[in-house]
Amino acid sequence: MLWIQRLWIKLQTLFRSERASQSLDDELQFHLEQQIAENVAAGMSKEEARYAAMRLFGNHTMVAENARETWGWIWLEQAGQDLRYAFRSLRKSPLFTAVAILTLALGIGATTSIFTLFYDVLLKSLTVANPGELYRLGKEARCCYWGGYSQENEYSLVSYDLYKHFRDHTQGFAELAAFQASDPLFGVQRSGGTESAQSYPGEFVSGNYFAMFGISAYAGRLLTSTDDQPGAPAVAVMSYRLWQQYGSDPSIVGSVFHIDNTPFVIVGITPPSFFGDTLRSDPPDFFMPLNSGTLMPQADAGDLNQADQYWLDLIGRIGPGAESAAIEAQMRVELKQWLRSHWSEMSANDRAKFPEQTLFLRPGGSGITSMREEYEHWLQILMMVSAFVLLIVCANVANLMLVRGMQRRREISVSVALGAHASRLVRQALTESILLSVAGGVTALVVAFAGTQLILHFAFPSARGVAGIPINASPSMPVLLFAFCVSLVAAVAFGVAPAWMATRVDPIEALRGMSRSTARTGALPRKMLVVFQAALSLVLLVASGLLTTAMHRLENQRFGFLQEQRTIVRIDPGLVDYQPNQFTVLYDRIRASLSTIPGVAAAAICQYSPLSGNNWASSVWLDGRPAPGPGADKVENMVYWDRVTSGYFSAIGTQIIEGRSISEEDTATSQHVAVINEAFAKKYFNNANPIGQYFGRPELGSSRNYKIVGVAQDARYLDFDFDKPIVPFFFLAEAQHDVVAKTGADSNPGSHHLHDIVLVAQPGATVSAAEIRQAIIAVDPRLPIESIGTLGEQVSNQFRQQRLIAKLSSFFGVLSLVLASIGLYGVTAYNVGRHTTEIGVRLALGATPAQAAALVVRGAFALVAIGLVVGFPLALGVGQFLGSQLYGLNPYDPATTLLAILTLSFSTLVAALVPAVRASRISPSEALRAE
Amino acid sequence: MGKPSDLVQGTLDLLILKTISLEPKHGWAIAKRIQQISGEVLQVQQGSLYPALHRLEQKVWIKAKWAETETGRQAKFYSLTAAGRAQLEKEAANWSRLSAAINLVVETT
Repeated sequence: MLWIQRLWIKLQTLFRSERASQSLDDELQFHLEQQIAENVAAGMSKEEARYAAMRLFGNHTMVAENARETWGWIWLEQAGQDLRYAFRSLRKSPLFTAVAILTLALGIGATTSIFTLFYDVLLKSLTVANPGELYRLGKEARCCYWGGYSQENEYSLVSYDLYKHFRDHTQGFAELAAFQASDPLFGVQRSGGTESAQSYPGEFVSGNYFAMFGISAYAGRLLTSTDDQPGAPAVAVMSYRLWQQYGSDPSIVGSVFHIDNTPFVIVGITPPSFFGDTLRSDPPDFFMPLNSGTLMPQADAGDLNQADQYWLDLIGRIGPGAESAAIEAQMRVELKQWLRSHWSEMSANDRAKFPEQTLFLRPGGSGITSMREEYEHWLQILMMVSAFVLLIVCANVANLMLVRGMQRRREISVSVALGAHASRLVRQALTESILLSVAGGVTALVVAFAGTQLILHFAFPSARGVAGIPINASPSMPVLLFAFCVSLVAAVAFGVAPAWMATRVDPIEALRGMSRSTARTGALPRKMLVVFQAALSLVLLVASGLLTTAMHRLENQRFGFLQEQRTIVRIDPGLVDYQPNQFTVLYDRIRASLSTIPGVAAAAICQYSPLSGNNWASSVWLDGRPAPGPGADKVENMVYWDRVTSGYFSAIGTQIIEGRSISEEDTATSQHVAVINEAFAKKYFNNANPIGQYFGRPELGSSRNYKIVGVAQDARYLDFDFDKPIVPFFFLAEAQHDVVAKTGADSNPGSHHLHDIVLVAQPGATVSAAEIRQAIIAVDPRLPIESIGTLGEQVSNQFRQQRLIAKLSSFFGVLSLVLASIGLYGVTAYNVGRHTTEIGVRLALGATPAQAAALVVRGAFALVAIGLVVGFPLALGVGQFLGSQLYGLNPYDPATTLLAILTLSFSTLVAALVPAVRASRISPSEALRAE
Repeated sequence: MGKPSDLVQGTLDLLILKTISLEPKHGWAIAKRIQQISGEVLQVQQGSLYPALHRLEQKVWIKAKWAETETGRQAKFYSLTAAGRAQLEKEAANWSRLSAAINLVVETT
């Protein structure tokens, strides 16, 4: 009962606070009057009695305040007062407010936009039911195809057979699904449609894939286990985004689509939020049951029933009460059992590696994380850079607030004289900071949205398919929360020094004139802030300098091929039902047809052009040397290879150093030949002449598959390891088919599906995409053209991320420089104002204006110099961190550091110049008179 | 007269409760009464009195009512509630125990 009464009284004082306050005032007034009456009765005059009573009573306001405090609402009331007061005082200085809010918006906005990416790419879970229950196979994502009965380090890819083994024996999983590790493009055409085939990414998934993720169809139905049976009718599910592309046509569900010329019935549409199992820039637009892969022998899924062909990733949902560690242990045993059941098919090498075969389960709520691994480093770097910018922004706003605090000292000292508590003054100052910061944070959301979209635009200019990037630039709840927290932290960071200064005001100052009272207080914190800003600016400038230099070095390295005048036309002859012996004729006809386009100097075709993102590899067996033993299939023993038509080397602009290139004389029936690169020659032949030597591939069972006819200059083909020397490489003739010694079968028919046409235009000539399409349609209208672009674009696309980081960090570097310069200018100008008299006296005593100006500039440089000393080790540390994260970056680049120091010094000079000129123009007589 | 002795912390509540236990009084009268009864030893400062009154009111140990004084002026009169009376008994007992204990120590040594 008592608590209800207490609550009632509390609420009364809250909601009728004005009445309660009035009542309190009346009560105190009554007390005072009683005292006066008593004094008068004691014989004092009325006036005297009044003063005596008031002296005895003490500070009326404070007594009232203390009484009100017992009501328990004082904090709310005061917060309201502080807020109103902060509003009013900010409105009175609109310029300060605008500058502070804009500066904060830049800092918080930059941080928030980077965080949006960071969150979406690194922290977000898949949009599926209970992602916490999902576990995936493999510590690291392994792309995308593996053969044999052993895997290095861990089993992370499985075959269909192994998947079924795990699925049927592991009880801990409520549902275990498998899906294709790679994300290939398919030629897709709507049945009865008039338009030509389009390429879209697609994926083969097990029938329980959607059930495992716990999602349901947006329209129609999703795949089920009955769809994933041998001989089941071919059905597929389409992505919501592709469906939108078709105008959200309801008749899509139930209609037939030709996927790689195989008819599939579309049974349903995925929900809009579903982006598949992997966060990537080009999520699949079609999901097909694993068993329908047998209809497409060309696809990875064509190897469905080969037990030793691994091309599937696994994600499972663990059942209630199951422990992932127990499941992992059980699956390791199951793996060994499965391997043992295939003992007879295993090679000696696989058998030797049998004891070390193991597997790992990892939380799979974020899916297979190839995108995460790809972007983790640069997101971390950007996060760090934006945090630095935010610090500088805070320092700058703190500086502004300090100046403002100086101007308000009189006001504050009056408050102190009237009995304001120090804590109340601090609260008041912090309220103002928080108000500013939250306003800055709200503005920052706009900056962040625009910034994120811009970054996405630069990072993923043209994603394949229509699914689009599964990253949303518009702020989500966690991002909003993040921005709000950053605002609060920033408010405390930049507000705490000015608030503390407010408590150090001596009430006596209010009584004195202001001209002398600005004392030395406030000068030190402001100087320290400038030193801090200079140090951080140096760090950012050095970082952006290092990144830009590394970028420049990457883009201008010796690639070993020519980019100018070269266009890459990507085709997929594997999608048309050519016979293996028809390809050579097809390629000759394409080259001939393209050569008729005016302005075309040459055309050649290869399996994969340089830096196209794909290459085949195998181990090699040199003639006359022992056959490669176990360990030959380790990555470092792999040699990459490519298949090319005649005229390829001159078309791509790679020089033949010795011997000859692949030519028309290399036909299906002539001696099989290879051109090797310098790295191959160096690694396997050292100084001996490789021309005329033979080598083979162990999987073909021979050491004499190819005769070396030429050595080509080293050229970069691989789109990774840019910091390492170019690896050994060999080129084979398109017309020559490799056969396996034992069986006589064509070992790699897929390698004859040449993807990239290299088209060389004559100097000054341009060839239009329409002309190219026309020329290819003239050869075979069924042949899908995936893309047409310059080789230069293909190369520069490789460095998109690095370029983006370099650009962003340069932007942040310049931003920090500008902010630091503004801070420095503020401090210097303020000092000149304060030292007007001193400078005036110096001038009167015979100092020249130049000496006065030098005094000011020296002061500014002293601050920056300290900043440099503080920032230098920090910059070294950051450089070292960047060097460990990005290739081709030299962490100790004296030229970059020197340039950063010079840039900072130059902006110091610019910032100090205006106040210095003002100092030199001080008239001694006026300066003294002002005093 | 020198500085009035500081009230032992927490005893002001007891004094207030005791003072108004017979009849409702306003703030001024409470202060005066404490001063008189204690023989001018205990002087209650307004700075402590009013916050204490309001705190007791928030705890519903005392309740307030505006009423006319004998001079015909409106004043805020405080009186004990049932909870307040119980609290008074408790604090008075506490005080007796404490002061007796202190006396014992002071007088025996």
